[in-house]
Amino acid sequence: MSGLGPRYPTEKPDHPYVQHSFGGFLFGSYNSLFCAGCGYGIIGHLFTRVFEDDKLDPLSFPLIIGIGCYTQLVTLAHHNSQKIFALHGRAPAIATGIKLANPKLKPIIFTGDGDSLGIGGNHFIHICRRNVDCVILIFNNSIYGMTGGQGAPTTLYGSKSTTSTYKTFENRSDAVKLALAAGASYIARITVAHPRTLMKYFRKALNHKGTSIIEVITPCLTYFGSKNLDSLGAEYLGIQGSKMDTGGKMIDWIKRNCVRKNQARFMDDEELFNRYIIGEFRYDASKPEYSEEYAKIQKRSMEED
Amino acid sequence: MSIKNNKRYLPEGKYVMMGNVAMSEGALAAGLNFFGGYPITPSTEVIEHLTKRLPEVGGSCIQMEDELASINAVIGASLAGVKAMTATSGPGLSLMVETISMAANLEIPFVLCDVQRVGPGSHGPVTSPHHNDLGLIRFAGHGEFQVIALAPMNCQELFELTITAFNFAETYRCPVFIISDAYLGHLHEPVYIPPKEQIIKKVIKRELPQDYTKFFSYKDDMTGQYVIPKTPIAGTEYFPPTSLHLPHNYAGLPTSNSLEFMEMLIEKIISNIDKISITEEYRLEDAEIIIIAYGLPVRACYRAVDIAREQGIKVGIFRLVTVWPFPDKKVKEVIKNAKAIIVPELNYTGFIAEQVERVKKLEIPIVKIPKVGEFHHPEEILNVIKEVSK
Repeated sequence: MSGLGPRYPTEKPDHPYVQHSFGGFLFGSYNSLFCAGCGYGIIGHLFTRVFEDDKLDPLSFPLIIGIGCYTQLVTLAHHNSQKIFALHGRAPAIATGIKLANPKLKPIIFTGDGDSLGIGGNHFIHICRRNVDCVILIFNNSIYGMTGGQGAPTTLYGSKSTTSTYKTFENRSDAVKLALAAGASYIARITVAHPRTLMKYFRKALNHKGTSIIEVITPCLTYFGSKNLDSLGAEYLGIQGSKMDTGGKMIDWIKRNCVRKNQARFMDDEELFNRYIIGEFRYDASKPEYSEEYAKIQKRSMEED
Repeated sequence: MSIKNNKRYLPEGKYVMMGNVAMSEGALAAGLNFFGGYPITPSTEVIEHLTKRLPEVGGSCIQMEDELASINAVIGASLAGVKAMTATSGPGLSLMVETISMAANLEIPFVLCDVQRVGPGSHGPVTSPHHNDLGLIRFAGHGEFQVIALAPMNCQELFELTITAFNFAETYRCPVFIISDAYLGHLHEPVYIPPKEQIIKKVIKRELPQDYTKFFSYKDDMTGQYVIPKTPIAGTEYFPPTSLHLPHNYAGLPTSNSLEFMEMLIEKIISNIDKISITEEYRLEDAEIIIIAYGLPVRACYRAVDIAREQGIKVGIFRLVTVWPFPDKKVKEVIKNAKAIIVPELNYTGFIAEQVERVKKLEIPIVKIPKVGEFHHPEEILNVIKEVSK
């Protein structure tokens, strides 16, 4: 919906979940604005699917959306979700305000790697620290897609972007490690190549009381794939990579570049360099949640005279 | 001060209160339920007072990680259906403008108390007053929109005008500023708190409307009036399908007519200027010299005018309580027969002098009395009056 262009009705698909998407339900347009090979379509579809399957009331889960390509997920997300567009990086602060003002709501934040770790890094740390009840989905495509392929805080070492034409030599930031240090109570990382696990984690996060961080590794074919070779993350083997110019090759690369958490324990730093460790990193249901703790303060101060 | 009371409204009576506390109490009386702030001298007493008082009335007060986060939390709370505010000073306001601009475009109401201090940096005499944010407040952000700014001059008004500010925010759905400053915020003065019933009668509540199809302001084609619906509340049925950061119509759907959208954002305030602009006149009946002032300097002007009147100089005060939007028509009417205009301001630029310059006839001279970091002494104003009357 970010574009102003007309939305033409498209043929109604048989797919049971796409029909509940915002664009389809309201405008009869079942397409999306994403590039071919993008992973956001999968995420939008899974989001709608969880709400439809579990018969959740989308009104109690306001959707707060940051700035990035994924802003256009509104067209794919459930038509009944209340969509609030945040400024670049400020979604966690808005979620904190909503949660405190109305603790019955559980905000879901769509944010990207640049949104949450770049410009909104501070807000991200502090929402984890407070353990405000919300779900944060970080879509990590290791590039700034919406502005045209600039380097992101998560861009892998050695990869190319429009603002690092030769190679990226900065250390990448790791959302999971940051969240672990900041104190979020449910932290997981998964990729769009593992959709069922992603749904499992998302369901777990929806039922968890506290800040849930799910980092989703997603491909950006247009700006990341077309510029980089699939040897990224396998440098230690010294293999010659080939171009990632189709969606399939990118998904292949993501699958190959991911290491299960249990597997990673037996690998050394060199082997894990530039690779993604997937799995659940923390699940702590006992950690006090901010709005619940605040309710206790309210009760106490009301009783005092 | 310690207030042993677990109710939203203080018992009727006279209290000695600090300006920042009076403002906070005014906000509570107006139905404040959320405060998100970040400490900054000289506004810190606001968050310190509300952190104790808000939980008592079932509201919440949170110290966020920075000003960017505090204003965004305020916006979030306002979207969730409670009255929300924040307080800051110049450097904090600079950080907040990004979100103020978004809130104005999405018509999310909130109140911001700007306790101004001597600028421009972060160090220096931060407990001295300086009305230096007026220009920033008027165009507080990127994009085009109008704000409302009220300038109290004593603690009693800080209490009362804060209630008015919340009412304006609810009615016009725009950012509303309270222009305070370091001296006013730290001033201890008697404040009369009216009985609870009287306050409740004045306050406009956040409620759900009858009509669930219109979420944003629009121009009624039949009457030509601007209609401002109630603020949408997240978690209820009354919420737009999307809240877009682009020109949208009353239903929240994108429109290609950007001009009409901008016109709506500005005209919804300007067309109601008669209801918004609060002004006061003092001994203006036959005045030839007119003092136009706002905020603290007005208090020095009263004394100066009284002395000048005793000496037979025809001088009066036109006080702006609502500073923005600037009441062009009213000022034009007042200065119609004036021979000279004096504008004492707590800044060098003369933000209001510029506005008066814009609306006055060519031949009337304007004398600015700039002052930074300290009060105007009535003597200084009197001297200028005498000089001008020669």
